[in-house]
Amino acid sequence: MTSTMDRRSLLSRAALGATGLVAATAMGSLAPETAFAATQQFADAGQPDPNFAEGLIMGRNQDLLQVQGSDGRLHRIQLTGVTSVWKLRPTTIDQARIGDGLYARGVLLPDGILAAEAIWVNIVNLTVAITAIGRNGVQLDHHGQKVVGHVQSGTTAAVYNGTPAVSDLSMLKVGRHAQVIGAWRPGTNEIDIATIYTSN
Amino acid sequence: MGTLAAAQPLLIGLLLLWSSYGKFADPQQADRTALPRLVGDSRAKPVYQAVAVVEALIALALLLPPSWAIEAFAAVALSAGFTGFLVYSKVVVPEASCGCAGKSAKPVGNRAIARALLLLATAGLATTASTGWWSAGAGVLVLVVEAVAFAMLSAELDRYWLLPLRRFRIRLSHPYAGTASDDTPLVATQRRVLLSPAYRAVDGLLRSDIHDYWDDEDWRFVSYAARYDGRRATAVFAVPHQDSTPAAIRVAVVDEEGLTLYRPTMLATTG
Repeated sequence: MTSTMDRRSLLSRAALGATGLVAATAMGSLAPETAFAATQQFADAGQPDPNFAEGLIMGRNQDLLQVQGSDGRLHRIQLTGVTSVWKLRPTTIDQARIGDGLYARGVLLPDGILAAEAIWVNIVNLTVAITAIGRNGVQLDHHGQKVVGHVQSGTTAAVYNGTPAVSDLSMLKVGRHAQVIGAWRPGTNEIDIATIYTSN
Repeated sequence: MGTLAAAQPLLIGLLLLWSSYGKFADPQQADRTALPRLVGDSRAKPVYQAVAVVEALIALALLLPPSWAIEAFAAVALSAGFTGFLVYSKVVVPEASCGCAGKSAKPVGNRAIARALLLLATAGLATTASTGWWSAGAGVLVLVVEAVAFAMLSAELDRYWLLPLRRFRIRLSHPYAGTASDDTPLVATQRRVLLSPAYRAVDGLLRSDIHDYWDDEDWRFVSYAARYDGRRATAVFAVPHQDSTPAAIRVAVVDEEGLTLYRPTMLATTG
């Protein structure tokens, strides 16, 4: 935890310009082409993207995940300290659990393991109508399917009419259409809402 | 009891007309029901329309004189068929819609089955009638109560009474009235970062989604995994809470040892 704090304070100072640059050359202009030239291999047309995987976590051995894709393929996904993990909010790699669904991007290593740079756990993007709002959740209708959306205090945000996100959910209205980014609770029709986009 | 039973054909007739009209108006609804599974894809639509014709015929027979006992028995047979079909739907094709009356993508639920059972019960009661509904007198008043029960069981009509009722209740007291706070949601910060010149300057270096974020006094910091010159690095953005101009957002690319490799905002300020 201390090291996290140290790292954070170092990064804070760097971003605010309180630390010196490594070398004068680092100040040279960086054209986008230079950066893109360094990126990994691209997928062949018509072939699955080698740097992407999705599926259900069937097993976990330390930080190596066994994932079964929806097309039946098996993936091995290695999480590292620099992997970004989204599970309702940016979180830590220990939050990826057996039974969770995920999308992963990274670099396919020669031994077939995908070294993940970013994973999104249980993420879902739904277009819905709000059918009821209660203390224990927002009832959503997703093309005829009932979905219960739970509000997580401090995390759930709302975007009204495309304006910047706010934590104020009191402008949600029954009968309105909405788009919801959230996290499934595996095996249920319930989600935790990260962001709900609607009109007021 | 006699007048009550005699009045039923009026309600059953009107309900069947409504249901039949819905099927005629939009025969494509057949594809969303369990019919394709039951009778085959090619026959679903003709069967759906045939049911609509039968409904209309029975409805007109019930509504128009003379009053024959056979009409009520036909209604019993039809509503028993509906109930059976809906139960089959719910068990065998749970995602299928009811296709009962009008457009509804909702899968068959307990309400649809309850409505079919209520129709079966009213049709059963109608078989005991000895006169037509036009001579039922005060019995017709009971139909109002029954009609309300049917309306409440009809998912197709929810938007006319249930949603306005819920909207009204929320206007009185919103369950999330207390959720407003001064904290900036991360998604708002992320949007500002994505629209900033600082993000454009390092976009090609970023390798991950948001890795970590924290607040420190007037700033929120957001870090991403990055690669710089083939080395692993971290890109960290500083987003001021107060100043909302895109140019106020700063970024630095820091390597594993903590050395700052790149800071495009400095370039901008020093010219």
